[in-house]
Amino acid sequence: MSALLSVRGVAKRFGGLQALSNVTFGVGDREIVGVIGPNGAGKTTLFNVITGVYAPDSGRVTLRGMDVTGWAPHRICRLGAARTFQIGKPFAALTVLQTVRIGSLNRIADMAGATTHALGVLEQVGLAAKRDVEGRHLTVIERKRLELARALATGPSLLLLDEVAAGLRPPEIQEMIALVRRIAAGGVSVLIIEHVLEAVMRLSARIVVLNYGEVIAEGSPESLVNDPRVIEAYLGEAYSLA
Amino acid sequence: MSARLALGLAALAAAAAAPLVAGQHLLTAFIVALHAAYMALAWNVAAGYAGQFSLGHSLFYGIGAYASTMLYLKLGLTPWAGMFAGAVLAGLVGVALALGVYRYNVRGIFFALVTLGAAEVAKGLADNWDWIKGPVGILLTMKNAPGEFFFLRREPYYYVALAMVVAMILISLRLERSRLGQYFLAVREDEAAAEASGVDTHRAKTVAIGLSAALTAFAGSFYAQFYLYISPDTVLVFEPQLTMMLGTMVGGAGTALGPVLGSVLFSGLGEALRNLPFENTRQVVIGSKLVYAILLIVILIYLPGGLITLGRRSRRA
Repeated sequence: MSALLSVRGVAKRFGGLQALSNVTFGVGDREIVGVIGPNGAGKTTLFNVITGVYAPDSGRVTLRGMDVTGWAPHRICRLGAARTFQIGKPFAALTVLQTVRIGSLNRIADMAGATTHALGVLEQVGLAAKRDVEGRHLTVIERKRLELARALATGPSLLLLDEVAAGLRPPEIQEMIALVRRIAAGGVSVLIIEHVLEAVMRLSARIVVLNYGEVIAEGSPESLVNDPRVIEAYLGEAYSLA
Repeated sequence: MSARLALGLAALAAAAAAPLVAGQHLLTAFIVALHAAYMALAWNVAAGYAGQFSLGHSLFYGIGAYASTMLYLKLGLTPWAGMFAGAVLAGLVGVALALGVYRYNVRGIFFALVTLGAAEVAKGLADNWDWIKGPVGILLTMKNAPGEFFFLRREPYYYVALAMVVAMILISLRLERSRLGQYFLAVREDEAAAEASGVDTHRAKTVAIGLSAALTAFAGSFYAQFYLYISPDTVLVFEPQLTMMLGTMVGGAGTALGPVLGSVLFSGLGEALRNLPFENTRQVVIGSKLVYAILLIVILIYLPGGLITLGRRSRRA
């Protein structure tokens, strides 16, 4: 497996809470990998460590063959890993186009070129009609799409999606699944944290299960739904019958 | 866009013709207003665009005033050049301050307090520094020497102040259309999201403070050449900072014309208040501060984006 992202033995502690311990997994080129686990399992902390928001206490993170452990988030973004935030962080006073263009400026230095690029990304995620709306006036799904657009505009080879389907209605979830598939088909690898199991099961080729900060299982969606450890930790009895 | 350009050129033409009709007293009021507008725009680069709410910009103003004056008195360097030296020095001090402050992740209200403290420290140092005459201050001699930035009449000062404001508006507009300016906005809106968009937020904030500090220093040099007297009590106190903030917040932070609008309004108000039937200077000072405060509160409550948003609202409606 050619590792685009490799996480080896990563641990992170907050005071008395061991948020992550000895987490090891990888994402290959053009792969969609899911991360599931109950609330507080350490999923978002894992994203924060990968994208440089926190430096891990121990372990290494490698991206595109470079050891990026302890790098600042903007450097990791420039190297090619872009993330969305679980709780959308729109630039409240900036328009949708301005927000996405700031992402585009990451790879395209001139404003005209970046504007054209940003408009293309907005078209792709279905936000083109909202280009002149300020961030604070967006609905929940529009914010999710804006998060996705901003991350995509930075030109990533790895996209980290933190619960992009949570809070959406069923038809919107279908749209989001189709959208992520299209992005992946364009050659971008995706690492996805998701509570909406339908989304993560249908999208991911491989899923990593976290519980109390540890990887308790890893495998294809089909193999995991029958894994007793996963059922006990997360899926629950009902899911095993389904 | 062309309508706005035409409006801008008409305003510029009117401003350029003003000395032809204004008397010396009114011209002085105009110079004060333009000077305030320039300072406000310079502070706006850091506070309005990049969201770095510095309360210590009097420090950079003071550096500008003292640098051009000392270089002139000790080395005979014309203040026309000395003001650029002051800008470089203020820029370097601003960058050093920013590097120190951001190194320890000091943000928001704490950033404001640290910068305020830095200006206070600078005033304390200046008060005790004999080489720059401490609290006594420095008096420049009035003379006619255009090559050395000294004029006997008000008109040349007026045109210099006007040119500075026009240049500062153009710099602001250019900034708004640049990658750096977009990065400033991203930092102001949300630093975590800015970093996730590939923006080096530490660098952007440091550049914003350095640039804003350097631009502010020019105003200090202008003050020295116009009033011909500087002291820690005039240029290193909170007063210049207050002028920058009032104009910017009232007119509209993070815009290229808001600070001009707010500054002109406040300067005009100050002038009008001086003509009210007060019994002595003390009453004028207290009375006008009261009016400023009330006006500021009213505008911040009803027009949080500043007066400039009035135009936007009516356009949308």
